[in-house]
Amino acid sequence: MKTHFLNRRQRDGLFGFVLDIPALALTVAFIIVPIFDSVIKSFQEYGVRNIISGKPGVWNNWANYLYLSKTDLFLKATIHTFSFVTAVVVVQFLLSLALALILNTDIKGARFLRSIMMTPWVVPTVISALIWMWLFQPQYGLVRYLISIASFGAVTDFAILNNPKTALMGVGIAALWKQIPLMSLLLLAGLQNVPHDIEEAAMIDGAGKVRRFYSVVLPYLSPVIKVTISMSIIENFKQFPLFWTMTGGGPNNATTTLAVLSYREAFVSMNLGAGSAVTTLWMVMMIAVVFFYNQIFRIQDMG
Amino acid sequence: MKRISVCMVLLVVVTALVFAGGKAESAAAPVTIKVANYALLESGYEPFWKQVKVDFEAANPGISIEWVTAPYGEIVNQVVNMAGGGNKVDVIFGEIDWVPGLVDAGLASPITDILSKSFIDDFYVDVLKSFEVDGKPYGIPLYVSPYVLYYNKDLFTQAGLDPAKPPKTFDEMLSYAEKLAKLKDANGNKVYAFGQTTASVPVSGASLNALVFNFGGQVLDAKGALAIDNKGFRDAFAMVQLLDQKGYNPQNAKLKDLRNLFALGQLAMYYDQSWGFNGVKSINADAQRFTASAEPLKGGSGSGQSLLQAHCFILVNNGKSRADATRKFVEFVISEETLNAYLRDLTPAYPAKHSMAAMESVVNSGILAGASPAAGRVQVQTFIPKISDLNLELCALAQAITVGKENLDSAIAKFKNTATVKLSQ
Repeated sequence: MKTHFLNRRQRDGLFGFVLDIPALALTVAFIIVPIFDSVIKSFQEYGVRNIISGKPGVWNNWANYLYLSKTDLFLKATIHTFSFVTAVVVVQFLLSLALALILNTDIKGARFLRSIMMTPWVVPTVISALIWMWLFQPQYGLVRYLISIASFGAVTDFAILNNPKTALMGVGIAALWKQIPLMSLLLLAGLQNVPHDIEEAAMIDGAGKVRRFYSVVLPYLSPVIKVTISMSIIENFKQFPLFWTMTGGGPNNATTTLAVLSYREAFVSMNLGAGSAVTTLWMVMMIAVVFFYNQIFRIQDMG
Repeated sequence: MKRISVCMVLLVVVTALVFAGGKAESAAAPVTIKVANYALLESGYEPFWKQVKVDFEAANPGISIEWVTAPYGEIVNQVVNMAGGGNKVDVIFGEIDWVPGLVDAGLASPITDILSKSFIDDFYVDVLKSFEVDGKPYGIPLYVSPYVLYYNKDLFTQAGLDPAKPPKTFDEMLSYAEKLAKLKDANGNKVYAFGQTTASVPVSGASLNALVFNFGGQVLDAKGALAIDNKGFRDAFAMVQLLDQKGYNPQNAKLKDLRNLFALGQLAMYYDQSWGFNGVKSINADAQRFTASAEPLKGGSGSGQSLLQAHCFILVNNGKSRADATRKFVEFVISEETLNAYLRDLTPAYPAKHSMAAMESVVNSGILAGASPAAGRVQVQTFIPKISDLNLELCALAQAITVGKENLDSAIAKFKNTATVKLSQ
C-alpha cells in the first residue's frame, strides 16, 4: 500500500495552490508591486531624471504631500471627481434600469435594439471623447446647430464644454453615452432571471406593478445592481481619457479631476513623486468609497 | 624546430586574420540611429519623412534610420520610457518647448558635443540663444517662426478695409475688429474678428506668452523666476478679457479650432505659428488665395516682440559611432536641398541658418511676406523644466478671465500663487 506525506485534502489544496501560482505571480508583478512602488515614490523626490539614470529617489520629508496642500488644485480635483462619480453613477443607474425594463418587455424590435445599443460600449473611449468633443464644438458643432434650430435662433452660442459651470456635465454626457449600454445589458440579464412564478403569485395576491417591482423584482435584482454600481463607481473614479481628450482639465481647471491632476504632475511637470502622491491619496479615497458602498449593501442585504 | 616554426607561422597568420578581420568589421560596421518623430503619424508629413530616410540611407551607406513613433502628445513619454529601459533614441524631432524638460531629465546633450562647429556657426546666434540652458544650446532648429498674424483678405475687403494694410497695433486691430465682427459668412454664421488660442494645451500657453511679449511684458525673468508684476503682463491679459467681452475671440479655442474657423471664413485674423497655415490649407485649398500674414501687433509700450517657435532636433549622445551618424543625419536634414520643397509646399517658416536665407521657398513665400520683418524680432524666453506646466497655468488664467468671468486682478493674484508653488516644487 502506497503511503503519502499529505492526506488527500492537503494534496488537493497544494494542487490548487500550484494552479494559482501563475495568476498570483501576475497579480504581484503587475498590481501589488507597482502599487507599493507608487506609494514609496510618493514620499520621495523622484523625477524623470531618476528613471533615465536609474538612481533611486530620495526621501523628501513629505514634500510631495505638503506641495498638494499649498494650492487649491487637489481639493478642487477631489470635489470634481466626487461630483462627477456621484452624478454619472446615479443618472447611469436610473437610465440603465429604465432601458433594461423596457427591453425586458415584449416591445417590437427589442432584440434589434439590444444588438445596436452596444455600439457605444465597443467604441474606444478616446474615440468617444473625440466624437463628443466635435459634437460639442462651440462654433461649428452639431449640438450647437441643433440647439440653434430647436430654439428658433434664440440660443446660438451653446458651448457646454466652454463654461466652467457646465463642462463637467458635458464630459458626463459622453461618459453616460459610453457606459449605459453595458449597465443596461447587465441589468437586463438580471431582470430575465427574476422568477416569473413569484411575480405571478404576487399578482394573484393583488400586488400592483409598482409593488411587484419593489417587493419582487428589486430584491432579485439586488446582487446585479451591487456589482454594476461598484463597476460604475470604479470606472468613473478613474476616468481619464474622456477628460484629457475633451477638455484637458479646463476650462479654468473646472474638469481637473484626480486622474487629470496625477497625469499633469507626473507627465507634464515630470514630477513623478508628486504624481504618485496624488495617486496614493486617490487610491485611498477609492478604497474608502468602495468599502462604504459595500457596507451599505451589506446592511441592506441583512435588512 | 620544424614543428616550432610551423606553429609560429600559424600563430602569426591567425593573429593577423583576427586583427585584420576586426579592423575591417569595425570600419564597415553598420550603424542604426533611432529618430523619435511624431510627424510620421501625421498624414501630411509622412511622405516627406519617409523620403528623408530613403535619401539619407542612399547617401550614407552603412547608416540606417529606425523611426520611433508615437502621437504628438505622447512622444516625449515614449522616449523617456525607452530611456528608462536602457534604450535611448539618438534624435528627437519636436518643439522648442520640449528642450528644458529633456535637459532636466538628463537625456538631451549639448549640440556642441555632437555637431561640428562649422555647421553650428552657420545658425543665427540669437536663434541658438533660444535653445540655451546654462549657456549651452541643447537643440538645433530645422526652421523657426514668431507667432504671426494671419488675416483673411476677402473678409477685409467685405468689411471695407484695405487688405494691403493689416493692423500694426492692438488699438488698430480693435478698430478693424469692430467692422469685421459685423460680417456673416455665406451660411449666415458669425465671423469672429480676432483669434487668440486659450485652450488647455501647452502650446496655447506659449502663444499667450508671446502675447505678453507683444505688450513689452515678461512672464519669467532671466534667471527663470516668475516675474509677472509688470504692466505688459497685465495689459496682455486685459486684452484677452476685452476680446472675449466684445465677442471677437472664439472662447477656449485650440489652435486647430482657430485654423478650422479661419479656413471656413469664420475668422478674420488670428495668431498662429507660421506652419499652422498647413492646417488651414488642408481644410480649404482656396486659403492660399485669401490668406496673408502680418507682423505681431504692438501693444502698450511694447514693440511687438514675439516668442520664437521652432521645430527642432534634440540630440542624445549614445557614443561615438552613433553620434557621428547623428551628425550626418542632422546636417543632411537641415539643408536647403532637403528643406526647400518642405518649406515651400508643407510648412511655411523661416530658415535658421545664414546659408539658407536666400533659398527659393523663403524668398518667394507669398504667405509669409507680410510677417517677414518680424522674423528677427523675437524675445528669448528663459528655459525652465516646468515650462509646459507654466504654460497650462497661463491658459487657466486666460480661461478664468474669459469663460470664468473672474476679475482680472484677483485671477492674476491666484495665478501668481499657483505658479509660484508649482515652479518651487
